[in-house]
Amino acid sequence: METEVLGIAALSLKVALTATVFACLIGIPLGFMLGASRLRGRRAVLLLLNTALAFPTVVIGLAIYGLLARRGPLGGLGLLFSWQAIVIAEVILALPIATALSAAAVQAVDPRVRRTALTLGAGPLRTAWAVAREARFALAAAVVVAFGRVLSEVGAALIVGGNIRHETRTLTTAITLATSQGNFSLAVALGLVLLALALTVNVLIQMLQGRGDV
Amino acid sequence: MATFEVAGLRQAYGGRTVLAIDALAVEAGARLALVGPNGAGKSTLLRLLAFLEPPSAGTVTLDGAPVTTGAARRAARRRVTLVEQRPYLFRGTVEANVAFGLRAAGVRGPAVARRVGAALERLQLQGLRGRDARALSEGEIQRVAVARALAVEPLALLLDEPASSADRAAQQAMFAALADEQARRPLTVVFASHLLEDAYRWAGSLLALHQGVPSPVTPENLFRVDLPGGGPMQDVAVGPLRIVVVTERSGPATLAVAPDEIVLSAAPLVSSARNAFRGRIVRVAEHGAERRVTIDVGVELVARITRQSFEEMALAVGREVVASFKSVAVKVF
Repeated sequence: METEVLGIAALSLKVALTATVFACLIGIPLGFMLGASRLRGRRAVLLLLNTALAFPTVVIGLAIYGLLARRGPLGGLGLLFSWQAIVIAEVILALPIATALSAAAVQAVDPRVRRTALTLGAGPLRTAWAVAREARFALAAAVVVAFGRVLSEVGAALIVGGNIRHETRTLTTAITLATSQGNFSLAVALGLVLLALALTVNVLIQMLQGRGDV
Repeated sequence: MATFEVAGLRQAYGGRTVLAIDALAVEAGARLALVGPNGAGKSTLLRLLAFLEPPSAGTVTLDGAPVTTGAARRAARRRVTLVEQRPYLFRGTVEANVAFGLRAAGVRGPAVARRVGAALERLQLQGLRGRDARALSEGEIQRVAVARALAVEPLALLLDEPASSADRAAQQAMFAALADEQARRPLTVVFASHLLEDAYRWAGSLLALHQGVPSPVTPENLFRVDLPGGGPMQDVAVGPLRIVVVTERSGPATLAVAPDEIVLSAAPLVSSARNAFRGRIVRVAEHGAERRVTIDVGVELVARITRQSFEEMALAVGREVVASFKSVAVKVF
C-alpha cells in the first residue's frame, strides 16, 4: 500500500514537473514576445490567453482524447492512457498560464530597464535577459502557478490517462477513485501527500529565487 | 567631423508632432546643452540621438554615416549612450551595473574589473563598488549611471536633466568628471536641462527648444499670450503686466524678450523704452564676467548684465530695481 502511494506520488510529480518545464519553455518566451512587442493583434492574443486560463480542464481532456484516440489524427502514436498523454494535456492547460503571467510580468517591468540595456549596447537577447532578471519574482510566480495548476488537475488526467493502476494513476485521480469507493481516509491521506508535495516544490522555488537575489 | 548631423528630423506620437528640427550639427568633442521648458522636445531629441527609437521622418547621421535601419541603430547604440533623467540601476551591485555595457560589448576577463574600477574612479565612486545598487541615494544613482555609461567609452554621451537631483555636490563631481573625460579623449556631450544656469555654466553651446522646434531665443522671458490685434502697437496682458509690443498679429502667440535687451536701473529712466517695470531681485546667477539677474516684477524677468555693472550698482537679492526694454525688442513668434 505504502509503495503504491509512493509510486502514485512519484508519477504525479513526474507528470507535473515535465508538463511545467515544457509549458514554461514555450510559454515564457511567448509571454516575453507578447509582453514586449507592440504588434497589432497583441491585445486579441492576450484576451484569448486570459480566456484560456478559465478553460474547463475536462474540455481540454476531451480534445486531447479525440486527438490521441485510436481513430484520431494522432492515434498512430499509441499514446492514449499513457503518462505522456497526461503530460500533453497538462502542457496545453499550463501553457496559457505560463504565457499570460509572463506577459504580465514583462509588461510590469519598468520600461527604463529595456531602454537602459539597449543604450548600453545590449543586443536583443541580453536585453531580454536584463528584463527577465528584473521580472524574476513575477516570472517565478508564473512557474509556481503553472505547476500548481498541473499538479492539482484531475479532469484531463482522468480522461486521457484513464486512472490505470501503476501506470497513469496520479494523486488527484487516485483521490477521486478512493472517494467514489467510499475510502475516505485514503482520500484524505492522498490529499495530504498532494499538499506536502506542492508545499515542498514551492519552497524549493522560493529558495532558488532567494539565492539569485544579490 | 560632426558626431551628429540631423536633417529634416520629425517625431510624432499618435499623430501629434512633438519634434521638428530641420538641421543640426553637433561637432565631435562639443558640449551642447538643450534648454527649454518641460515638453519642449528635449527628451525626444535625446532618445532619437541615442537611436532608441526611429524618427517619423528625417535622418540622424552618426560620425558621417546615416543611421536609417534597425540594424544600423543597433550598431550605433554601441557608440552612443544615454543617461536618463531618473536613471535605472539593475538589481545587483554597483560593480555589476557598471560592467553591464562592457559585457555587452564583449569585454571579458580581468579587463572588465579594470575598466569598471577606472570608470568608478573617474566619478569618485570607488567606495560604492560592492554596494547594492538599490541602496543608493539619488545623487549616487546618477553618478553610477554616468560611470556605467562612460565605462563603454562611447563616442557620445547624452544626459537627460543631469542636474535634476537635489545633490549639488554630486552634480559638481559629475560635470567635473565629464570635463576630465573630454580632456582625455574626444567625447561629445549633449545634455538637456530646464535650468538655464546649469546650461550656461557647463555647456559650450546652447540649443533652445520651444514646443518641439529650435527657438531663436533662449527660454528666458518667454510668455504665452493672446494678442488683442489691432496693431502695430499692442498692449498685451502678461500676468499682471501690460507689455507694449509691435506686431500686426492677433490671437495666441509667444512673446520673447532677450535677457540682453533688458536694462536695469535704480530709478525709472527717461528713455524711449516703452516697457518699464519695478520689481525685486530674486536670484542672481554668475556666469564668467556676466550676471543673470532674475527680477520679480509680477512675472519673472531675466536680465543679462556685466559683472562691473552689477557691482557698481551694488545689486543684490532683495534690492528693488526697474527693468526697462523697448517694445521693438519684444519678439513675437
